[in-house]
Amino acid sequence: MAGKSPVKKAASSDSTPIPNPNQFKPPQISTKFTSPAVKSEISSIPTPTPVPTPTSRPPPSQPSSIDADIIHVPSHSRWFSWEKIDSCEVRFLPEFFDGRSPSKGPNLYIYYRNSIIKLFRENPSRKISFTDARRALVGDVGSIRRVFDFLDVWGLINFSASSAPSKPTKDTANNNKSADAPSLESPSFAATTSKNSSTSRRFCGACKSLCTIACFVCDKYDSTLCARCYVRGNFRVGLSNADFRRVEISDEAKADWSEKETLLLLEALMHYGDDWKKVAQHVGGRTDKDCVARFIKLPFGEEFLGDPYSKETESVFETNKRMHLTPLADASNPIMAQAAFLSALAGAEAAEAAARAAVTTLSEVHDTTASKGGRGSLARNMRRDWHLAEALFLSGAEADISSNGDTNLNAPGRTYVDVNSLLEKEEGDIERAIIGITEVQMKEIQDKLVHFEEVDLQMEKERQQLEVMKNLLFIDQLNLSFRRSYALESEEQGVDNVKADVF
Amino acid sequence: MKPPASASWKAPLKFRMPTAENLVPIRLDIEVDGQRYKDSFTWNPYDPDSEVVMFAKRTVKDLKLAPGFIPQIVQSIQSQLADFRSYEGQDMYAGDKIVPIKLDLRVNHTVIRDQFLWDLNNFESDPEEFSRTLCKDLGIEDPEVGPAIAFAIREQLYEIAIQNVTSARENRINKKGRRGAEHFPLSKAGGAALDLMKLFNFRSSVVRKRKEWDYYKPILDLLSNEDVDALEAKEERSGR
Repeated sequence: MAGKSPVKKAASSDSTPIPNPNQFKPPQISTKFTSPAVKSEISSIPTPTPVPTPTSRPPPSQPSSIDADIIHVPSHSRWFSWEKIDSCEVRFLPEFFDGRSPSKGPNLYIYYRNSIIKLFRENPSRKISFTDARRALVGDVGSIRRVFDFLDVWGLINFSASSAPSKPTKDTANNNKSADAPSLESPSFAATTSKNSSTSRRFCGACKSLCTIACFVCDKYDSTLCARCYVRGNFRVGLSNADFRRVEISDEAKADWSEKETLLLLEALMHYGDDWKKVAQHVGGRTDKDCVARFIKLPFGEEFLGDPYSKETESVFETNKRMHLTPLADASNPIMAQAAFLSALAGAEAAEAAARAAVTTLSEVHDTTASKGGRGSLARNMRRDWHLAEALFLSGAEADISSNGDTNLNAPGRTYVDVNSLLEKEEGDIERAIIGITEVQMKEIQDKLVHFEEVDLQMEKERQQLEVMKNLLFIDQLNLSFRRSYALESEEQGVDNVKADVF
Repeated sequence: MKPPASASWKAPLKFRMPTAENLVPIRLDIEVDGQRYKDSFTWNPYDPDSEVVMFAKRTVKDLKLAPGFIPQIVQSIQSQLADFRSYEGQDMYAGDKIVPIKLDLRVNHTVIRDQFLWDLNNFESDPEEFSRTLCKDLGIEDPEVGPAIAFAIREQLYEIAIQNVTSARENRINKKGRRGAEHFPLSKAGGAALDLMKLFNFRSSVVRKRKEWDYYKPILDLLSNEDVDALEAKEERSGR
């Protein structure tokens, strides 16, 4: 590192020191990716934006001088910059970016975020609480809380070396599948990767019913709730959705799948493909449903091993497959996050059933484009399941399709795009029609104006004529009165001729 | 859907806050074991109910209050939200309404007094933005003033909106037709709005009379510590 401030490595986490903005020099940030497997999860987060110099431009008006010269920020928050909004912020806090409410826009988000961070950095050794932050900000407390939590989780506020270890443990607890930072919003990602506890029979703490499919365990108070109670929010006042993690019973009740069984499963899949009964036989000791359930839950990298059908003609599909499946694993995509959340809530079987229903309906529509070969291969079916389930969720959701999704959707995506273009055309037509109407109305008005002008002119003329007539009349009257007076005079003089002249 | 009693005025809309965001002003004043907690903030009624609990928990933790506060806070917030929601299903009469909004707040060391007109029909209005701009223009450094201003505005708008709901109901009962729409016998704010409407007809100009200038500009005061203490003591005494 070329900068003058040394890189301070915190004891148990990667952190990058960011020099005090008042120092006005662009810091060279070097991060050392040291060891533990957990950390690799954190540091493997893709950083789409180029590595910025987060505080190379000093924030607008730093009111007080900052005591600590160096502010630590964890390496996975390298993307942060005062003026820019990173894509992970858009993902985690979509409410500011989906344009649903006009005043809740990216500017508002930047205002909240920067004020909270400034507030923290005024005194970095002290953690700021949510209440401090929301007192100082204008806005509704729900959104402020979400921004605050987001910054907290990503270590942009309240981050000091001593508090770092808490995050890695949260990572392992929550997400195995996703490669991104922990998400507080949907804890039920823990669905498939929960730490299984030993007891096989579980009773719900609230409604005292036997937990069958899945139960939710709170570690803090060591209580268990059945899925119904959890969804209804039937827990103690001090708890929230985030405190519970989902624990699958059906898996547990029959003990975990051993390595051998998984291997047998994969072998069977290679040989038998779609025939789950044979697969179940091959694995031995598991019903076909179990096998399917287990297969779905496998991290899909394993699926690429030894799939004979896909290697030859369907290499294209394989790459598609990879793209299909990774979004599922990428839980940060909000739509897929929702999809995973919903499927976790509904249970793997229900999600599978929904996906299969989607297969049948959608395959009728997209028969030609969905599958090239006529061969029924397991891999393709599974891929189609997810592909169509994904399409199902997407068609239900109204969010925009991220670039990930674009490359993934073949037929449904194309129709969606077509529909979009049709919509645009319609809108264009409507606009043109409206323009035409307004033009016509303007012309009408103009014609009226011209007409009125003409009428006005005519009136003027008539008035002038009237004036002239009035003048003439006046002259006549004058004449008359003169002559009368003259006549009277001459009458008095006793001349008769004048009288005759007048009349 | 309740049909309007007379077709000659604008159809009543569904009740909502006349602002861009349909946020509810919440005021808390709870006393437990000798500890008193007063607070006010805006809440988004579309947040799930679990948010209320979480918020109460965090606030108690952050402010180091006794844990007995949590259920009380939750209950208070929920009852205010329930009130808001009970109005939500009903109709709100939205006529031409320009109402005066008054600010008279003391937040820590800052005292602000102001009065301005607000268009109730403008559903894109944003008290938060107004408050941010006001603080920036007046150079208020205390960051807690902004939310207090926004909250005060929102609270007044909320009360006026509630009155509109009840008056809409009365109008339908009385069936006075258009005449009835212009009489708001019970609501003071309605009376004020009406006067303003008379002001804005074509006979008078839009420019304010000189003698009213003093009422309509913001007055900002910064108090010293002793003043703050004195005022607080006075408030507590009058509160009791």
